[in-house]
Amino acid sequence: MLSFIIRRLLIIIPMALIVVTLTWGLIRIAPGNFYSGEKKLPAAVEATIRKKYGLDEPWYKQYGMMMSNIIRGDFGDSVKYPGQSVNEIIRRHLPYSATLGILAYLLALAVGLTAGTIAALKQNGSFDYGSMSIAMLGLSLPNFVLGPILVVIFAFMLYWFPPARWGGFSSLVLPVTTLAAIYAAYIARLTRAGMLEVMRSDYIRTARAKGLDEKTVLLRHALRGGIIPVVSFSGPALAALLAGTVVVEKVFALPGLGDIFIKAVLNRDEPLVLGIVAFLSILIMLFNLIVDIAYGYLDPRIRYE
Amino acid sequence: MEGSSLSQLRIFAAIFTISSVLISCTTTANSRYFGRTTPPADNVLRYVSGAEPESLDPQLPDGQPEARIAMALYEGLVEYGPKDQQPIPALAKSWEVSPNIDEFIFHLRDDAKWSDGTSITAEDFVYSFRRGLAPETISRTAGLAFFIKYSEEFKGGKVFVKKGDSYLLAKDFGGKAGEKASALFGPETDFNKFIKSPARLALNGDEKKRAKEIAADLKLAAAVEGAEFVPVRGEDIGVEAIDDYTLRINLRQGAPFFIGLLAHQFFRLVPQQAIEKHGKAWTKPQNIVTCGAFRVKDYRPYDALIVEKDPNYWDAANVHLDGIEFYPVEELATIMNLYKAGAIDAMQNHSVPSSWIGEIRQYKDEYLNFPENATSYYAMNTTKPPFDDVRVRKAFNLGLDHEALSNFRKVTKPLYQISPSGIVLDYDKSRQNAGEEIRKERGIAPEEWEKDNRFNQIEAHKLLTTAGFPVQKDGNGFSCPNFPTDKVSITYNTNENNRSVAEFVQAQWKQNLGITIPLKTMEFKTFLPYFKSLQYDGFAIFLWSGDYMDPYTFLSLQYGKENEGGTGFYDAEYDRMLDEANAELNAQTRFEKLARAEYYLMEQLPMLPLTINATNWIKKPYIKGMYPNPGTLLPWKFVYIERDPAKWDKDVENIMTESDPLVEKQLEGLTRTQREALK
Repeated sequence: MLSFIIRRLLIIIPMALIVVTLTWGLIRIAPGNFYSGEKKLPAAVEATIRKKYGLDEPWYKQYGMMMSNIIRGDFGDSVKYPGQSVNEIIRRHLPYSATLGILAYLLALAVGLTAGTIAALKQNGSFDYGSMSIAMLGLSLPNFVLGPILVVIFAFMLYWFPPARWGGFSSLVLPVTTLAAIYAAYIARLTRAGMLEVMRSDYIRTARAKGLDEKTVLLRHALRGGIIPVVSFSGPALAALLAGTVVVEKVFALPGLGDIFIKAVLNRDEPLVLGIVAFLSILIMLFNLIVDIAYGYLDPRIRYE
Repeated sequence: MEGSSLSQLRIFAAIFTISSVLISCTTTANSRYFGRTTPPADNVLRYVSGAEPESLDPQLPDGQPEARIAMALYEGLVEYGPKDQQPIPALAKSWEVSPNIDEFIFHLRDDAKWSDGTSITAEDFVYSFRRGLAPETISRTAGLAFFIKYSEEFKGGKVFVKKGDSYLLAKDFGGKAGEKASALFGPETDFNKFIKSPARLALNGDEKKRAKEIAADLKLAAAVEGAEFVPVRGEDIGVEAIDDYTLRINLRQGAPFFIGLLAHQFFRLVPQQAIEKHGKAWTKPQNIVTCGAFRVKDYRPYDALIVEKDPNYWDAANVHLDGIEFYPVEELATIMNLYKAGAIDAMQNHSVPSSWIGEIRQYKDEYLNFPENATSYYAMNTTKPPFDDVRVRKAFNLGLDHEALSNFRKVTKPLYQISPSGIVLDYDKSRQNAGEEIRKERGIAPEEWEKDNRFNQIEAHKLLTTAGFPVQKDGNGFSCPNFPTDKVSITYNTNENNRSVAEFVQAQWKQNLGITIPLKTMEFKTFLPYFKSLQYDGFAIFLWSGDYMDPYTFLSLQYGKENEGGTGFYDAEYDRMLDEANAELNAQTRFEKLARAEYYLMEQLPMLPLTINATNWIKKPYIKGMYPNPGTLLPWKFVYIERDPAKWDKDVENIMTESDPLVEKQLEGLTRTQREALK
């Protein structure tokens, strides 16, 4: 197990560098540059910029310079926001995204697991139909629709929560709910499917045959196997949630990483894009690793060499 | 299964209908004000400033959000007037202008201080201008200062050519003639003698490029033989501290609009003490030193920039607000939500989404729709057929009903020329006079002249036919089978407004000319190089906001070979006309000459005028002293919160003409020093 973890950890760094290289190539292929704006820059200013950022050098030199900096963990300064380093920007905005993401995930987990489990136990009952219909709705209602609906109801009709901006717990309720909806729906459906399968399996029949009460069967035996699909879904989902969720950040004007990432791409802010991509890819690989480890604990049949 | 998915569909449809109804219910004008209208408890304005500012350094970015923030934090020699955007005294209490309008003397206040308490002197201006114009400062707006003598040469890292004890002069090597020798203005200093001597020749600083430049000119090659190349330094630019509180600026040519330009954020003071101590980290909240009415209190990027009234500010007694919170929000619907919930008091220009305008404009005490110093055009690629033919360019202009386009856009006005009308009113008069003269010279009947450049289908068909694209009657409409619609398109960067304008214009030309021009959209950063390097075919969207209150900010778009216009157009005669106008000292004559040049340009029509843009934002009625001036550039010290509902703004349509005693008194106090100096 330990050697498995070490092997997986070791592979993360080269993988991240490959991702960064590919991203760098894509940015370079994309037309336009960070310094162009609506108004023409005086030729002298453009020349200064090109010199300062080494854009006059051949591409392999630029690539080498970028890579050697990145390997040392230095992504440099944002070119759009002079004086702000990429590391600083990520460090500053990750907590916002993380708070939002973790809260949304916890809410989704609580709602999804409960609804999915009950629906599975009462298969084809009214709760099953009801909850799964709502889940379907949650899946098909994009958050740029759900967000404004919640705003209209809770900010303008009931005056319970502010319509946007960061600031205290009450400002988080609407964005967290918006964000959680789709994940809760996924988790509910995955839990239901997983539980249905597990409940029919032999070891549950064995557990029942041993005379265990239904509660123990359900919580100790069935749930562990039933939520494996949820766990595999959770890795990438959690990484995506932590890294920011553009639409919700935009609709609620929250200072998270997702919106910053999209803007960095549109601005051709190369250092910032590369920094966030590297961070994101490491995050996703780490979460995948955690998921794989979790499998081992949840399902005794899965073992790593 | 089928049944259940059908019922889900029904539920979905129901929810969607409910939500649309909800949203429309809550936006209907059923009360006097849009949303909650209660003044904030504390004396702090909450303002949505748009995109996250690139930097708090006023000399680097060129965006509007940054301009407004810079206006709170920094001050320059002059400030924009709250209503008309004309310059009013700021750190300069008065100024004098030389007869040739190329030399300016500013008398500074002796009681002005930085936020760290140190005094502001003329040396601070010298430092700021040199720093902004230094080659290593990546400033997007430095071009505005190129009127200052040798500043462009300094920025470009150029070199003077020294031969023996003297320097080669520009006028001997094809430099612009017409440099006027002028009498002494202000005290005579060594620097003044130098800066007023005939302009030196400046060559490229880069050795290779210079060699090329020299090789191309035989006379120059002979002259530089054995000469020494001396880099242009910051000390060479035309900015001089005569004493602690007197500043002199020398321009390379007369520029009557220069004082107005000086309110731009590029010309505001930056703190030498902080920049030298902290380097690029000087704008961090713990390091920043400012000189405006407000100073930084807290800065949370992407969330809020909070500024507070600076007790060290020289005019602190007349700053009404205790602070301003700038919120960087870009999503228009979110801005409107914040406004409606009463979480903000005002928002940056162009914040009302176009689909909301019909609704929002009913709030007459809040909605601000005024002419803007900004225009939109379709640039035409004059380097590629068929738009290299002026007849084709004109035909498309005449084939578009500008009036209808403006009605469709709701808040804009039709643009028939290059510079907008209704902004510089004296110029409008001059343009009318010049037009009348031209009409008489050519013997055109007044009613014919009226129609000039207006929608005229028959004339458009004629022009197209003579250009080789005959227009035929085709059923109820027209067709123009020869026109190469596969070789042209309307290109624009992806944006809701650009798209709707393009679709409207496309439909107009289809109906009026029988030509369907395909549309082409691309992301902004892809569009920019595509447009600027003239890769587009036919039409490309071109929006321009004036940098100062003078028609030259629009007319210069087609000036010079490397111009901003993006049409590939260049006309030496047009340049000559503009130069001649700008050399004119009498303001009215200058305007008439500029107007002549504009008419001349309209004969060539490199760009197709579309609309004069309009302001489009709302503010709460209790926010006073804030005006929709032509650039929405808000001098914050005039803004105040009125707590007495009886005194709130009513019917803001009249906001520019109605007098606010508090604002008038404040303005009077500020402009007094300059008026007295003029006496």
